[in-house]
Amino acid sequence: MSSIRLFFVGGLISFRALFSWLSPWIYIPSLLIAPIFQILLFVNLGRAADVGSDSFYLVGNAIQYIAIPCLFGIANTIAGERFTSTLGIILASPARRIPLFLGRALPTLANGWIVALFGLSVGSLLLGVQVPGSAWPKIMLIALVAAASCTGLGMLNAAVALRVRETSVLSNITFGILLIFCGVNVPLEMLPDWMAHISSVLPLTHAIEAARAVVAGADLGTVGSLLAKEALIGTVFCVLGLVALRFLEDQSRRTASLDRM
Amino acid sequence: MVDAVRGVNFTIERGELFGLLGPNGAGKTTTIKMLTTLLLPTGGSATVLGHDVVTSARQVRRDIGYVFGGDRGLYDRLSAWDNLRYFAELYGLPPATQRARIGELLELVGLAGREKERVEGFSRGMKQRLHIARGLLHDPELIFLDEPSIGIDPVGARELRGTIARLKESGKTILLTTHYMFEADELCDRIAVIQNGSVVAEGKPDELKKRVSAGRVLEVETFGLAEGELEAVRALAGIHTVAVEERETTQVLNIQAEADAEITSEVLAALTETRVGRVAWREPTLEDAYVELVTAS
Amino acid sequence: MTRRSPLLAVPRFLIVAWWIQIKIIATSAFDGFLQVVWPLFFATSAFLVYRVSPDPDVMVYAALGASMMGVWSAIATTASSALQRERFGGTLELMVSSPTPFALTLIPITGAMASLGLYSMGATLLWGWLVFDIPLHIASPVAFVACVLLSIISVSMVGFMLSVTVVRYRTAWALGNVLEYPGWLLCGFLVPLSMFPDWVAGVSRVLPPTWAVQAIRESANGESPWVSLGICAALGLAYGIVAAVLSENILRSARRQATLSLT
Repeated sequence: MSSIRLFFVGGLISFRALFSWLSPWIYIPSLLIAPIFQILLFVNLGRAADVGSDSFYLVGNAIQYIAIPCLFGIANTIAGERFTSTLGIILASPARRIPLFLGRALPTLANGWIVALFGLSVGSLLLGVQVPGSAWPKIMLIALVAAASCTGLGMLNAAVALRVRETSVLSNITFGILLIFCGVNVPLEMLPDWMAHISSVLPLTHAIEAARAVVAGADLGTVGSLLAKEALIGTVFCVLGLVALRFLEDQSRRTASLDRM
Repeated sequence: MVDAVRGVNFTIERGELFGLLGPNGAGKTTTIKMLTTLLLPTGGSATVLGHDVVTSARQVRRDIGYVFGGDRGLYDRLSAWDNLRYFAELYGLPPATQRARIGELLELVGLAGREKERVEGFSRGMKQRLHIARGLLHDPELIFLDEPSIGIDPVGARELRGTIARLKESGKTILLTTHYMFEADELCDRIAVIQNGSVVAEGKPDELKKRVSAGRVLEVETFGLAEGELEAVRALAGIHTVAVEERETTQVLNIQAEADAEITSEVLAALTETRVGRVAWREPTLEDAYVELVTAS
Repeated sequence: MTRRSPLLAVPRFLIVAWWIQIKIIATSAFDGFLQVVWPLFFATSAFLVYRVSPDPDVMVYAALGASMMGVWSAIATTASSALQRERFGGTLELMVSSPTPFALTLIPITGAMASLGLYSMGATLLWGWLVFDIPLHIASPVAFVACVLLSIISVSMVGFMLSVTVVRYRTAWALGNVLEYPGWLLCGFLVPLSMFPDWVAGVSRVLPPTWAVQAIRESANGESPWVSLGICAALGLAYGIVAAVLSENILRSARRQATLSLT
């Protein structure tokens, strides 16, 4: 019972912290306008190179932009608490770690989902990309799985954030890796083999593929295995993240890196 | 905000060390910022070394140094030397003399030998001294020191007072704000106390102390002040102010009374329910004068 | 104290202050790393898309354009937070209270940032050459270097204006982030302006980087870059003048409303 409470109450509190940090002055430019421009950039690039369709770049970039809220969200929740010196207080509490950190991930997950759907819907309107009405519920589900699995990666990212000072640099680099490797702007079969191998174990790759199929008219059954893989990858990263958080917590107790600014 | 200093009127003589005291939010920093050209007054005027702060801002900036307390105002990622070099450029120091001048100032503030280290590794006191060196780069005639001793440990604060005293001896005019009364008492030639944006008293530290109505202060140590008895003491005839200082297990009442009032027995009589410890008369300090001025107005 | 003639003093100030600002930025190795790597992610994506094209010149086009992305990023993201950093650090007030005109103190700051862009420019060209085999053949090297240097100066004037405009907003860094992609798109780094509707292309034409990348491409191809470069420089100068005037106005209003410090 207390774990459930910790999960929701802790999550709620960090949600508030997240949104006081994400004021409209930050939220609108960084999470609503920027993804639209990323979509426009690559759509135009594709048109100029005469490669791919508008819909290809729209779906790829809208889903991939989930990485910004998910990676930054959790990392900043933790880095922000280090900044206000509350992290030490939380870690000094006897609270169970897993519900504590998972609760913190919940608002981030929801936020990532909203950002992806916003990018997709506004992008499709701007570019005149036809997305069949029946595809939207499936897209919403896929975006949810994508946000969850990216939040899993966010956990690992946040664990490292406990250790390094420049969390946003780290999150940016992770974002860049996903941009190149997840088949966002280039079909996976056109990537060199070694890259495609990495792609297959990263979050977002399978979700992007599934979303493209659904926009093209596929039903949920045909993308089921893609979604299952996506969820599995997310879970693995999440577990790795929780293990790493545990490990780094022990480490920072030994090296006092927790409150170092 | 600017209204806050509507009634502030004072003149500082050349070569004088002038203290500006007052509670937080009284308008000290606002006053200093107007005089250092960082804020524009909406009314009234201020002249610094014969130049108007609004119309001749650049001339004023050349002639003054501005130092504030705390961690801010330095580039943490740079060495002390680079910090000083940057500001030497901002103040247009001739390149030929820059090196010598910076060395001289590092010597003055006791940072010689540490100049190649990054400021982020400096202690609070070292940062503050570097701040002062920065403010002195262009050898200003007038120096503004806005709470320079804030957050510095006692040893550091003593060294800082020494530095300030040496500056005064070398003929600089200084305007100092501080919350530490003994510091103001030790350093200042004259003091103005401001509150709610106006000067409530001005004079030499000794003159201000004499203003403490009694000329004497009764200190009463109590163990657990009983309810209502503080008010009872305050209500006694001949008593001006009673300030309570909380210590670990005791409270000390600082009672300022009229000069010839013999109040010891009345005070003790009023404290019937309270256990009383040491009782003693003492000479008033600047702090007493300050507390009376600030609470009375 | 003796004062120097401004003819000598101003350039000296600009150079020393620029160098000190470079030192401030360069001490965060991690930050500097990102400054170089971030545009590389996008350049790589662009190269992967353009690689499909059979025309080898397309890759040269993409490499030269992508190399300017880092210059723009450096300016957009750092210029908007530069003065915020000075404000939080308490040094903005000290800059203002010095006798050096405020506008003059800002130029080295944005200049240092644009110089960082040079670093990423080199890295992008090198990356394209090493990983994607894009030939680095420059037809007129002298013109090319002149174009690069003048472009950086012009772009830093845009940064100057940006930093002055946003100094009063606490979340200015988010604005910097949002300017990054549109800049890449609108300045024609990766796609020709002819693809845009007229009004968008019109916006592109008042941005100095648009002309800068055009001049750089012309000099690399052996065409004459001087017209584009002249327009780029003129636009840069215009931005600089507007920013200088703006900075004095903003300073005056900040002095009136006590918004220089955060305390």
